[in-house]
Amino acid sequence: MDVVVLVKLALDTGQLRVSEGKVDVESTPLKVSDIDRNAVEEAVRVRERVGGLVHVVSILKYGPIQRRLQEAEGLLREVLAMGADDAYLVADEALIGSDQSVTAKVIASIIRRLGKYDLVIAGEATVDGYTGQVGPRVAAELGIPVVTYVRELRIEGSRVVAKRDLEDAVQTVETPLPALVTVTREINTPRIPTLLQIRAAVRKPIGKLTLADLGLTLKPTIKVESAVPMQVKRRGVVIREGTVDEKADRLVQALIQEGLLTPR
Amino acid sequence: MAMGVLVVGSIGDIGLVGLAQRFRGQDVHYLLTGQGDVVQLGRYGVSRVYQLTTGIDEYSFSETLTDLVNRGSYSIIITPVNRFYRTAVPMAAQRLSAPLLTDVIDVKPIDNELEVVLNSFGNRAQVTVKVTGRVLLMAPPARFKPSENPVNASIEPLQPRVVNVVKVVSTEGKAKGGVRIEDAELIVAVGRGFRRREDLKLAFELAEVLGAEVGCSRPIAADLKWLSEDHWIGLSGRRVRPRLYIAIGISGQPQHLAGMMESRTVVVINNDPNAPFFRNCDYGVVEDLYSFIPVLTRRLRDILKR
Ligand SMILES: Cc1cc2nc3c(=O)[nH]c(=O)nc-3n(C[C@H](O)[C@H](O)[C@H](O)COP(=O)(O)OP(=O)(O)OC[C@H]3O[C@@H](n4cnc5c(N)ncnc54)[C@H](O)[C@@H]3O)c2cc1C
Ligand SMILES: Nc1ncnc2c1ncn2[C@@H]1O[C@H](COP(=O)(O)O)[C@@H](O)[C@H]1O
Repeated sequence: MDVVVLVKLALDTGQLRVSEGKVDVESTPLKVSDIDRNAVEEAVRVRERVGGLVHVVSILKYGPIQRRLQEAEGLLREVLAMGADDAYLVADEALIGSDQSVTAKVIASIIRRLGKYDLVIAGEATVDGYTGQVGPRVAAELGIPVVTYVRELRIEGSRVVAKRDLEDAVQTVETPLPALVTVTREINTPRIPTLLQIRAAVRKPIGKLTLADLGLTLKPTIKVESAVPMQVKRRGVVIREGTVDEKADRLVQALIQEGLLTPR
Repeated sequence: MAMGVLVVGSIGDIGLVGLAQRFRGQDVHYLLTGQGDVVQLGRYGVSRVYQLTTGIDEYSFSETLTDLVNRGSYSIIITPVNRFYRTAVPMAAQRLSAPLLTDVIDVKPIDNELEVVLNSFGNRAQVTVKVTGRVLLMAPPARFKPSENPVNASIEPLQPRVVNVVKVVSTEGKAKGGVRIEDAELIVAVGRGFRRREDLKLAFELAEVLGAEVGCSRPIAADLKWLSEDHWIGLSGRRVRPRLYIAIGISGQPQHLAGMMESRTVVVINNDPNAPFFRNCDYGVVEDLYSFIPVLTRRLRDILKR
């Protein structure tokens, strides 16, 4: 069974760089979007059970491309070390700052070029965009069924059986392959690759592509004007010393002073 | 650009009409799911209501929505946020080749363009985006308040396009805690620092003395299922803005902070002096929660006489 797993190299929102009151996207580091590690883990587990290949597809969304290429390759090696077989990275000026309809079209185009695929796995949502739209969009583009928020996945012959985590219910569904699923953070615990696996990953292929290679021309539909970080000033009074009683007293005094508690 | 605005949702999502009204002079139509008082929609200026009374799955909903948007040539489509819409709406958006902007705060139509302000980058930044052409907007309905502008709303039953690709084998309801954590003024939030479910009692006792609601980090609700999902605070949970937020045994990862950044005063209790939450608090106490919380609760009970 051939599994395609979608991996976003997301902005590390814990390390947003700020300059002149704006988020400096270009100098903020990237990371493998957390839940995409769960997606890779699940893909590798499926392959371990039923055989086949795991292909990683990643569309670079943040520039500057020249500098990001190396960073992106390093991050993709991390997921290759987890057990994926190869990776495709699309890096093109026209994709920087583009919206998810464009991302989905490019991903679908790569998947079609792979020829054979049975299952596509995406994350529930990314840490930076947190929109959860790319999975369902890719499914719509490919014309295959989608099952979102999966926390348990089984392959039974030519069908997927999945447990979906919805707000008010857990739903068990089944659908024929090929299909796309999006997984939650709770579906598994991503493995930490061994040193040996990390070394082996250096030799795994990463295909770098541009839109021209894919025969695509896409026009932008949105333009990001600015990103202003939400900065909240906090007092930062940390009580470290003293007995438990003393600490509780100091905290209670502070809350009284803030007007949050009124002694009776 | 020609703009017809279509709002999607149940009658409870009527707040979204408030966002639709910012497109001045545009007709506002409503795709109403389930039952609801159409007159009420008319009061807020909704001139046409398409009513979808059968419950359908996300795939069918996305087809039905795509057809309706094409038929009515709507260029602005506004929807609520939940996992159903997060699944159905992107599929419709892809078929319409249109962007979908989520967590929208405000919109400003300027000439032929639309400026949209939204929370993004893991809710760590407000991003302003310019759009030309059709766009789908997703936002929590409670964020907006429609103003009255009575019209006669016409009503048309909507026939769904049902596509059965995903078969539901079974559905198991989830427990509901019955809290509306989004509205709480005071919150005691719990995280993985609690070792056992029974130990949450410590937090509930503290909350009771304060008159606070209990919230939690994602693992407590999603992984361990010690509390129902309506307690879950953060990027993928609820956004809260209480006067006082007391975080106990929560490390303070960016995805948790994303949900509680608008709290007025933040108190953090953690036994690890290097927990990231201490860099985002007003008052922090470095202490084992098991020894600290009972003492704090007793102290508060004394001074509040509860
Ligand atoms: C896309 C995405 C979305 C996410 N959405 C959310 C979300 O909405 N909400 C959310 O909360 N998380 C979310 N997460 C997960 C988030 O990244 C963290 O993993 C999570 O918040 C950690 O929960 P925690 O702080 O309870 O647990 P931990 O990180 O394990 O922290 C436990 C803390 O308890 C402290 N502790 C341990 N023992 C004691 C003791 N005896 N006394 C006092 N302190 C003690 C420890 O020092 C530690 O700091 C999301 C992640 C992703 C990738
Ligand atoms: N640029 C990208 N490249 C590859 N996969 C992506 C990309 N963006 C999103 N995805 C996939 O789609 C999921 C949801 O992303 P998002 O819609 O940004 O929340 C992610 O978890 C990934 O699996």
